[in-house]
Formats: sequence, structure tokens, C-alpha cells
Amino acid sequence: MKRFLIYITKIFFVIILLAIVLDGLYTAIFMQSENRGKIETVFNSKAQQYDVVILGSSRANNHFVSQMFEDKGLKTFNYGMSGGHLFEASLLLKLMIERKYTIKNVILEADLNLSTDHEAEGIAAKFLPYIHNSKVIKDHFATQENSNELYYIPFYRYIKYETKIGFRETFFTAVHKKTNALDNLGYYPLGFKKNANMKGNLTNLNPLPNNKYYEEIKNICKINNIRFIPVMTPVCENEIGMNYFDKVKKAYPEIHNYENVVVENKYFSSCGHMNDTGAKIFTAKILKDFFNK
Amino acid sequence: MFFNSLAFAIFLPIVFFLYWFVFNKTKSAQNALLIVASYYFYSCWDWRFLFLLVFSTFLDYYTGIQIEKGKSEQNRKFWFWLSISVNLGFLGVFKYYNFFAASFSELLNSAGFHASPILLNVILPVGISFYTFHGLSYVIDIYFKRIKAERNFVDYSLFVSYFPLLVAGPIERATHLLPQVKVKREFNYQTAKEGVCQIIWGLVKKVVIADTCATYANAIFDHYTSMNSFSLILGAVYFAFQIYGDFSGYSDIALGVSKLFGLDLLRNFNYPYFSRDIAEFWRRWHISLSSWFRDYLYIPLGGSKGGIWMKIRNTFIIFVVSGFWHGANWTYLAWGFINAIYFLPLLLSNSNRNNMGAIQLKFNFDSAKIIMSILYTFSLTCIAWVFFRARTITDAILYLKRIFTSKDFSFQYLDNERYSYELLAMIGLFVLVEWNNRNKIEPLSGKRNILKLALAILAIMAFGTFSDYKEFIYFQF
Repeated sequence: MKRFLIYITKIFFVIILLAIVLDGLYTAIFMQSENRGKIETVFNSKAQQYDVVILGSSRANNHFVSQMFEDKGLKTFNYGMSGGHLFEASLLLKLMIERKYTIKNVILEADLNLSTDHEAEGIAAKFLPYIHNSKVIKDHFATQENSNELYYIPFYRYIKYETKIGFRETFFTAVHKKTNALDNLGYYPLGFKKNANMKGNLTNLNPLPNNKYYEEIKNICKINNIRFIPVMTPVCENEIGMNYFDKVKKAYPEIHNYENVVVENKYFSSCGHMNDTGAKIFTAKILKDFFNK
Repeated sequence: MFFNSLAFAIFLPIVFFLYWFVFNKTKSAQNALLIVASYYFYSCWDWRFLFLLVFSTFLDYYTGIQIEKGKSEQNRKFWFWLSISVNLGFLGVFKYYNFFAASFSELLNSAGFHASPILLNVILPVGISFYTFHGLSYVIDIYFKRIKAERNFVDYSLFVSYFPLLVAGPIERATHLLPQVKVKREFNYQTAKEGVCQIIWGLVKKVVIADTCATYANAIFDHYTSMNSFSLILGAVYFAFQIYGDFSGYSDIALGVSKLFGLDLLRNFNYPYFSRDIAEFWRRWHISLSSWFRDYLYIPLGGSKGGIWMKIRNTFIIFVVSGFWHGANWTYLAWGFINAIYFLPLLLSNSNRNNMGAIQLKFNFDSAKIIMSILYTFSLTCIAWVFFRARTITDAILYLKRIFTSKDFSFQYLDNERYSYELLAMIGLFVLVEWNNRNKIEPLSGKRNILKLALAILAIMAFGTFSDYKEFIYFQF
């Protein structure tokens, strides 16, 4: 039995050693990431200057045409992330401030995402390779349920979120395989889909009063003298439960309601996402209302 | 509690410690601990099913004794058929009733009668097909006077409920496991070490091979109408490795865990994809089930003795029943039927026992023929697996038809945001490792054991699929 216990101890030692080595290796590779995604790019960047930074979910990513801002002479990047919540938008802005970005305006898509203050696992995971290299990330995750495991157990975060930061992503990062996340200054145009699902239902959705991460973004902007422009973006005309936007307006009067600026189905790729034509109409309206000097 | 879960990683060391350090004085203490652990393990799925397990155990224990004690043949027959009918009755109610009711209703509807089936709102108790077959073989063996009835209820309960084999086999025989349960187990370093190697190799098969292949196979099978020929072929191959990695991985873990407690279980897989014909495949795949059906169904029906029609009838019965054992769906029946068609020419030409020996390859024409026959057998198996995996027989036929009609062999980007070909290198490496170790139980034991273990653990950590958690396929059977 003694020999067996020594044998088992050896295996445990091998597991711990491998976890530490793999953790170091993966992290080192992610520290070199340049062209894979918005989070990695911001983390590995130095001080930048922006006139406009756009934050939010896919409804920011697909709705704000960065080039139209640039055409007006405004240095802009769309940092909207498909599937992301305000948890990640707030952390990304914190990272930018940590890296001494100078930002004049932040446009935040704040509508459906106000109904949650949880992390979006798939997006939040992309911050985790850097948890030991950024106090901002460590502190932001400190309130999360499994923060201690993610921080202290070597390689645990890479195993838990293996589809996002596992071997495959690490390999592509190591060989610098480019994604399209940074194309079009971060804006991702959608096409018109003939048989797209043009039905949506917001009846069960309610905006959280004092959403923690919305308030965080608002405060960061205030402290850093950034003009904060929160907006609700359009949904298609078939959407059920449109009074959601009224509820948002009631809870957050400062959020500008653009939900009904574009309504016709021909401008949508799906009920919650405009196509490129719709996005251009919407962006023109935003530019006219907020940047028309 | 799955073998690849954190809960099991805590459960196993606790039971191991108690078994060898606290309850190690007598065989009775060892068995009592294993029974408690097994019942706890089983109740982690649903404690209510525990009553069914205990009832089934008691029924077979009691009827076994009554059969042995029976003074007249009529009396023995009564207890025998009571046990058989109650066991099969449970299986029928929980597993097959809804299928038959729905199928019968469909038949009536198609004949112009209006019928809506009365369906039972029951869920299938985990492992019912496995422990029912344990009990059946025990009672049949007693009835035919091959074994004596077990008088110690704890020992018998352990034979039926032993946690490593409780939910997905291997299907044990009383002649193999009961004698081991009847004596006190002494710790053996070499056996325990082999057990650890087998557990880790089982995890590699499950987490690295099966679960990763599942991601790709699901993306292809669920969208087969938009897949091209190349992706569809890959989908069938991925599923073949998914089900092999999943089930043989589970069996390896079960056998390995059991070795830690000094109990040897029946081997369930013997590198089936290196088979040179379908008959050999069935001697290497799910061996405990194949041999169960051979001994308790095929041979009593007359086996391969008798005339040609008898042989054909028995072959179809055993394969179709084997397919039906997997689940109440026409796809499983079709899978069994196809395997019967594969097997029949070998049986009728008396060549089903041609490939009994070990595979030896050299640089000559015969070896090329062996490789071709292995590839051919694997291809046949993959075609049958399409029926096993598809939701309906129509889906399976359309899937296979599309392989030939699409005629497009380009790489496709799948719904899981990966290219269809991405797993080929990993599968190739896995096949190479298995091929080089085909004469061993698993590839990790032997020389440079710690290095090989480290590589296996590295593979689990780096290449395993964890976030998209999948349970073992055979739990549903």
C-alpha cells in the first residue's frame, strides 16, 4: 500500500506540475495576442486616443458604423462584443483607462443588456488569461462566484472555458491567425436575410434598477471627463413587449431612446439586429444628434 | 455522479480509504461498505430508483433460492418464470411500453382508425438494462444448474449493485464475480497500479476522444441536409469514435476502479476497430453483452446448428434483439438488422471464425489485404452507426444518400465554429497509439509508465472537452 500511495503522490505531482507549466505557457501566448479579438487587442495595447469609443453587445457591434464617424473626422472604434453583457463592457472600459487611453466620447448601447448584471461567460472568459497580469481584471472578477478557483488553481480557467481560451484558441493565437473582429474598425455589418426570424418577445424582460455595471461605466466616464452617451438601439416592428423601452426610460431617464428610429423589416437581419443599410441610417441619426458641429 | 465528475473524484478516494484502512478486516465488512457506497452512488441519480434496484435484487436472490430448493420441475419452473417475467416486465414498462403504445397507435392511424396512445409518464431508471441482465443470467444459470444459488444476501447484492458496473456494465456473470465477492480481498500493488492506468486511459478516451468527436458529429448530424459528401463521411467516422471512446472509456474506468478494490471485471472491448470482419468486430465490441446474448439467447435457440433457415432466423433474432436492447427506437432495430445482414454471409460460408488470432503485419501482400479488410469492416460499421445515431430511419437513409449525391468534397465550416476536418490528426494519433498497444489492455502501463501517464494527463488537460459537458451515451440504455 505504501508503494501505491507513493505512486499516487507522484501522479498528483505530475498533475500539479503540468497545470503550472501549461498555465504559464498559455498565458505567455495570450500575452502576445494582437489580432484575435477586441479584448486581447486592448489588453496588449499602449495608450490610444479616441474621439468615440462604442461599447455594448452585438446590438452595438452591428449597429454603429465606425467608418461614418471617421468620415466626420472622429477617431472611432466599435468595441461592441456579440454575446457580451454590461459586465464585459465595463471591464473593457476599465482596461482602456488602465492603459491610459484618452477618450472623448463613450457611446454605450444600453437596452436589453440592462436586464442582467451577470457575466456573459463566453465573452468574460477572454479576459481570464490576463487575470494574474491585471489588477483591474482580478478585482472585476472578485465578486464572481468562482473567482478564487479561477485565480488560484493553475490552468483551471483554461479547462473551464476550453471552448474560448483552450488549446484551439491558444494555438491560433500562437500562430497569429487573424480573425475579422477588428475589421471595419470593429463594426460587423450584417446582410439581409430572406428567411430571417423577424419575431421577438421582450415581455419577460425587465431592466434592473441601478444596474451595477451600467452605473460603473457611467462613473468611469464621469471621473475621466468622458462624455457618456447611453442609447437604446432599434428593434424590428414585429417585436412583442415594446414597453420594455418605456421601462428603461423610466428607470434610466438619461438613456436616449432610438428604438423606433429604424423599424421596417427590410432594414433588419434578425429582429434585434439591423443589417448594414439599417445600421447606416441609424448611425447617421446618431451623428446628426450628437456630433453635428 | 459521472465517472468524469468532480463528485466522483471525491467519492472514489473516500471509499478507497475506508475500504483498505477501516473496513479491511473481513470480507463481510468490505462487502457491506461497497454495498453502501454503491447504493449512495446510484441514489445520486435519483434515490427513488433505489427501491427498484433493491426489489429487483431481492426478487432474483429469493427466486434463485426457491429454484434451487424446488422439489418438482413444475415448482422450479414457476419461480424461474416469475423471476424472468418480473424482470422483463420492469424493463418492458420503463423502457419499451411507450414505444410499443405509440407504434401501435401509429399503425392503427395509418389503417384509418383513430387512436391516441395512453403513454406512461415515467423516466428510464439509470442502468436498468444492465442490472436486469445481471439478475437474469444469475437466475437462468441456477435454473439450468450451472451454479448454486447464493445464500448471503449482502454478497449477492454486491454482485448486482457493485457501483463500477451498476449503470453501464460490463454485464457480469455470477460465475465470474460472485466467487471474488465471497473471499476477502487483499491489496495488490500491481493490480491497483494497472487500475489507475486504466482509469486514466478511460478518461482520455472519454474526455479527449469521445466528447471532442461529439461536438463535430452533432454539428454534422444535426445539419446533415446542408453538409457535403466529405463532411458526412467525417460525421459518421466521428460518431464511430465518439461512441467507441465513450463506451469503452466508461468500461475502462469501471474496470480500473474495480481493480482498486481488488475485484476483476469482464473485459468489454478489445480494440474493435481493428477487426478484419464483422464477426470479429462482435467478438471485440461490448463483449459482455455479445456473449450474454450468445449464451442466453443464441445457443438456446439452437445457435448455428440446424438447417440454413434456422441459422438465418437465429442470426436475425440475436442482432435485432441486441439492437432493441439499446433502446426503444426503430433506428436501433435497423442497426441490429444491418449487422445481421453483415454477419450472415460469414456464418453461411462458415467463415465467421476465420479471424480468431492476433493481427500480425509485415511488408507483404497479405498484410495489405489485412489492412484493406480492417478498413472495409470499419466502413461497414460506420454505415451501421449512421442508423444508430440518426433520429429516424428516414434521416439515416437520407444521410447516406447525400454522401453519394452531394459529390462535394470541400472543407466545410460547421455550426460549432470549426472546420469539419480538424479532428483527423487527433483521431489518427489515437488510432496509432491503440494500434501499437493492441496486445495490451491499455497503452499506459509497462515501461516509462510515469512518462506515459504524464502525456495522457497532458492530453486530458490540453485537448479535453470540459465546458460542453456530455454524459456517457450508454447511461440511457
